[in-house]
Amino acid sequence: MAGVTAGDPSWSKHVADVLRRNGIRMFATVPDSIVTQVLEHLGADAACRVVTVTREEEGVGLLAGAFLGGQRGALLMQNSGLGNCVNTLGSLNVASQIPVVLVISHRGDLGEFNPAQVPMGQATPKILDALGIRSIVPRSIAELEAQGDGLIKLAYTRALPVAFLLPAELTGGKLG
Amino acid sequence: MSAPLTRATATRLLAERLRHEVVVANLGQASFDLHALADRPLNCYTFGAMGQCSSIALGIALARPDVRVIALDGDGSLLMNLGSLCTIATTAPPNYALVVWDNEVHQTTGGQPTATAAGSDLAAIARGAGIEKAMTVRGEDELQRAYDRILSEPGPLVVNVKVAKGKSESGLDRDVIGGPRRFIRALAARGRQSGAS
Repeated sequence: MAGVTAGDPSWSKHVADVLRRNGIRMFATVPDSIVTQVLEHLGADAACRVVTVTREEEGVGLLAGAFLGGQRGALLMQNSGLGNCVNTLGSLNVASQIPVVLVISHRGDLGEFNPAQVPMGQATPKILDALGIRSIVPRSIAELEAQGDGLIKLAYTRALPVAFLLPAELTGGKLG
Repeated sequence: MSAPLTRATATRLLAERLRHEVVVANLGQASFDLHALADRPLNCYTFGAMGQCSSIALGIALARPDVRVIALDGDGSLLMNLGSLCTIATTAPPNYALVVWDNEVHQTTGGQPTATAAGSDLAAIARGAGIEKAMTVRGEDELQRAYDRILSEPGPLVVNVKVAKGKSESGLDRDVIGGPRRFIRALAARGRQSGAS
């Protein structure tokens, strides 16, 4: 992938571990080739429940319900799916102060090969900002480890969604 | 053919039979009627996120398998999130029931017809999604028999209730932050039991 260093393949276990050690046990997903690497760790963990939904917005609703029922949740998806979630994130999570952790693989940025991914890829940070969703963009495992716990803590302190936006520098991206 | 049901009557008949069940109500009419006729801390009203009522209830049911969860959705809203039926079928929580107030219109916005007015059959769609216990009911007798099943049988169940058109005579304070917190506290206070009740 031109201009981007391939990711250390252990990145996905670090993401799974950050989520699990912060008490997240309920996961919803529409998988892509990147977040599926995280899902392999979660799916192998009997303490975790992974629900594959048909559309990302459904996962936002499901995880809001899980929070109302006392469980922390994370939604794993590609940034294309963020567009499918916008109204529910705004009118449910932000309006009613229901936290959720979004784990988003960032396509459509550095090194992207598919032109169809680029518009949403470039819009993604602005969509998160427009909703007031605090996000981090860890470009290495060291950055992920330095910021991940604090991001999740903030979600539940502030009772709002937060986002891990995972760039190709961390994950290795998708190689066409 | 039984007399046409109103949503308010159907809501009241359910409320009379509730004990410790969670009820999640769709935004607009379903929440207005439930609040007016049977407000209680284990009611979860929704205020936005059209389409997500069934998914929110599913998340509660998965997080609290010891509590029976009943969603009160609308035809227009469920039509916006039909994929939810597939996820309900896939996860198959025994403590979950989805009731749909099917009046064949977008009531809140002026009564524009939905697809169910043209013949789309939500119970058949639910069966096609993989939910075996899916039915359409008309009239009080059929409705009460469906409530019997919701309150006693393992789910998931989908009960599509044909109701008359008409707006709720009530409203709802839009306490979008305090409402959900009251619900969270009430559900947390209901300690975990063995089995749904």
